[in-house]
Amino acid sequence: MKKAVHEDFDGYDDIVREIEYSRKYGVDYTRERSMPERFIDRLHPSRLRLRVADVMDETASARTFRLIPEDNELPPFLAGQYISLSVETGGILTSRPYSISSPPNQSGFWDITVRRVPSGLVSNYLFDQVNKGEILNTSGPCGNFYHNPLFHDRNMVLIAGGAGVTPFMSMIREIVECGLERHVHLFLGNRTLEEAIFHGGLSSLSHRFENIQYIPVIENPSGDYPGEVGLITEKLIKEKLGDITGKTYYLCGPQGLYDFCIPELERLNIPGRKIRKEVYGAPVKVSDCPGWPEEISETQVFSIHVKGRGAISARAGEPMIKSLEKAGLTLKALCRSGECSMCRVRVVSGRVFQPKGVPVRKSDMQFGYVHACVSYPLEDLEIEI
Amino acid sequence: MDGYDTIVIGAGNGGLTASAALAQKGLRVLLLERHNIPGGCATSFCRGRFEFEVALHQLSGMGTPTKPGPLRMMLGNLGILDQLELVEMPDLYTVIMPGGFKIGFKPDKNQVIEELKARFPHEAGGIDTFFKRVYAYANQMLAAFFFKDPAPTREKYPDMYADAFKTAAQVLDELFTDPLLKAVISVYWGYVGLPPDRLAFPYLAMIFFTYIEFKPFHIKGGSQALSNVIVNKFLSHGGTVRYNCGVSKIIVEDGAVKGVVTEEGDRIPARFVVSNASQVSTYVGLLEPEHVPDKVPREMRGRSLSPSAFTLFAGFDCEPDALGFTESTSFLLSDLDVSDRALSRMGELAIGNQPMVVSCYDVGDPDFSPLGTCQANMVTLKYGKPWLKVPPREYHKVKYKCAEEMLRRVEEIYPHVRGHIEELEVATPLTHMRYLGHPEGAIYGYEQYTKDSMFFQPGRYSPIEGLYFASGWVGDCGFHPTLQAGLTAAKSIVRKLEKEKK
Repeated sequence: MKKAVHEDFDGYDDIVREIEYSRKYGVDYTRERSMPERFIDRLHPSRLRLRVADVMDETASARTFRLIPEDNELPPFLAGQYISLSVETGGILTSRPYSISSPPNQSGFWDITVRRVPSGLVSNYLFDQVNKGEILNTSGPCGNFYHNPLFHDRNMVLIAGGAGVTPFMSMIREIVECGLERHVHLFLGNRTLEEAIFHGGLSSLSHRFENIQYIPVIENPSGDYPGEVGLITEKLIKEKLGDITGKTYYLCGPQGLYDFCIPELERLNIPGRKIRKEVYGAPVKVSDCPGWPEEISETQVFSIHVKGRGAISARAGEPMIKSLEKAGLTLKALCRSGECSMCRVRVVSGRVFQPKGVPVRKSDMQFGYVHACVSYPLEDLEIEI
Repeated sequence: MDGYDTIVIGAGNGGLTASAALAQKGLRVLLLERHNIPGGCATSFCRGRFEFEVALHQLSGMGTPTKPGPLRMMLGNLGILDQLELVEMPDLYTVIMPGGFKIGFKPDKNQVIEELKARFPHEAGGIDTFFKRVYAYANQMLAAFFFKDPAPTREKYPDMYADAFKTAAQVLDELFTDPLLKAVISVYWGYVGLPPDRLAFPYLAMIFFTYIEFKPFHIKGGSQALSNVIVNKFLSHGGTVRYNCGVSKIIVEDGAVKGVVTEEGDRIPARFVVSNASQVSTYVGLLEPEHVPDKVPREMRGRSLSPSAFTLFAGFDCEPDALGFTESTSFLLSDLDVSDRALSRMGELAIGNQPMVVSCYDVGDPDFSPLGTCQANMVTLKYGKPWLKVPPREYHKVKYKCAEEMLRRVEEIYPHVRGHIEELEVATPLTHMRYLGHPEGAIYGYEQYTKDSMFFQPGRYSPIEGLYFASGWVGDCGFHPTLQAGLTAAKSIVRKLEKEKK
């Protein structure tokens, strides 16, 4: 055989010897079968099977489900993160994100606290059909709504509406149970005091711990309510905080809370980087979103042709992900709020509506990719999933 | 008929170009990707109003329209050049040290040499010789191998014969005495993953040569734009892509590939399989041991895993110059040690004095981030091994502790960064392991010692008929080499089919 050119390069023999040695004393990779997957599963399992260990009523319409691991240990999470619960009900395979309300130091179980939504497919299923002992399938913890010690202030102002209190409960419990050096003001808005989830627990923590200030704000209190009444306004925030600087503001709740409270914070000249907002699902009424075309009504029905799967019908006012699920085409999804991009699909033809501010990658926009959980058909579509 | 001519596992750079090139030739190609988005490393993610670039720092081999480089020609052949907005980066690199030392280079050979001589006049002679040798090596290498000289000799290519198997440190020590100069001139070792006394001189030479001759580039929309453009081309050629679809097994019968089984259990027949997954997971995870000839694990034994990376992705609520980001690519050095100590520091959790690179894409591409904001990608190399020993419950604590240490290093040079952070995401070696599926999160595949170069290693072919590799695990790492790896794999398949026709 002809000698290769490089065999004459200076130092060739040394390299050949080096290869010989390295093969003799090197790494046996055959022992590492599926090592990366097994390691990553300890931190970021893609699926978990959890058993309902307990079901506890919080209010007339809110219930906590205590979940224990069926297989392995629970992975770690950061207070404020959520899990995505997969549910099959009424012939529809779907999922919903729920913030973990128990603290991360509690590694034996996770609590999720669910409020029953009158027409809610999943919340009603959980309330009516899920009892102690049931197995639930969930994702691992995910989401970007947590205290980031690198740049968030130790003084935390938490502003919640309704069931938006759940991630804050996890944060507060961690602070008191682990003795973290953080100071919290929690403004919790509810229509009535009876509806306020964790009211009792938070009141008592607030009494016991100097660094926890709990400020329930009731919109329509019954009778003579001595506490804060109305909405979480600029004035109330200023009055309760005194010094508004050096604090990071975290908001979690329905769109109405953001629409009202963010301008209030802006009036206080809180810089945008100090305001953290949790995603909270698709808009309740998408036709109220700025930019929705007037001529389209939410009840209009269009046809979506899904490449390789046939046509389905879809209501303009319903996120595409739900129309697909009803037709038996379940996409992978986590946040269902536009943020995580798991349900990214390509719109080949046709117009869709996407509310302003959904974080879609620039080049995804260019090539017609949308996040199906916050995309609505405005005409007949052709898509690829 | 549900079979394909070729199944490509993984939509990273190599998988993407292999898919597009094969579909362009009329083959029925199925591209399978575990994640919901194509790109592998060549991707981005959104936080708040920022879209963060994951991996691309300086695209090499591009060249200008009038002086096209190999990558520009390659993208032209794929028919995608006109869909990419390429931005020539104004800087080669800048080195900054605490205490005020700063030296900046433009992608211009004379400027680099003059700047170095002005700062290191006592080393002027060596500086001239260094670049002469860099260019001589690169030109001789290209003449002998790229342009395929049928009869190369030592007389024709003296520098190549002399320097090809030297380490960078050997050449630096021959020419220089000043440790600061040695550190400044060799910082690009971070793009390969081995410090100069381990790094092959040819790597350092080719990096300087290609960046200076073909200029460093950046892509509007980041590397995700490149990935999306290639997928789009692939689809337009009739290709099929399935996301969220991992592969659990490559089916082999009688020593030849027959198809794959997906994680969902679908069995899909195919004549060829191109793996863009790591070589380790392909041979060890996807193939049954009885199908892997003994020589494969024996050859793999001699390879070691490259470092992974520890990265901060930061979005700031101000323009780059307000923070002092005036160059697109800056290496921060706290220590001039480029010996084995640099290597062992990469094996520790603590950030310490390690070199790091800060890339601010908004310098040179002001619309990269939203108006009035900017982002920086700050990276230091770290082996994955110590991270595998962190108990899961300690993970977040350790991650933020290291990130805090790194941020303090950055603050030494850019004191105002922390006050302007609007978004900050941290990626550890485990993050890279999670998203790439590489053992120990190795971002550069196997380590690239001289013994690991194409001269000595089997490359893209496998002893299993019909199985090809297209990734940074079978050759060099980086965008240009991995994009090329996919094309080379495609070419091998096309050639095989043509031969059969005859």
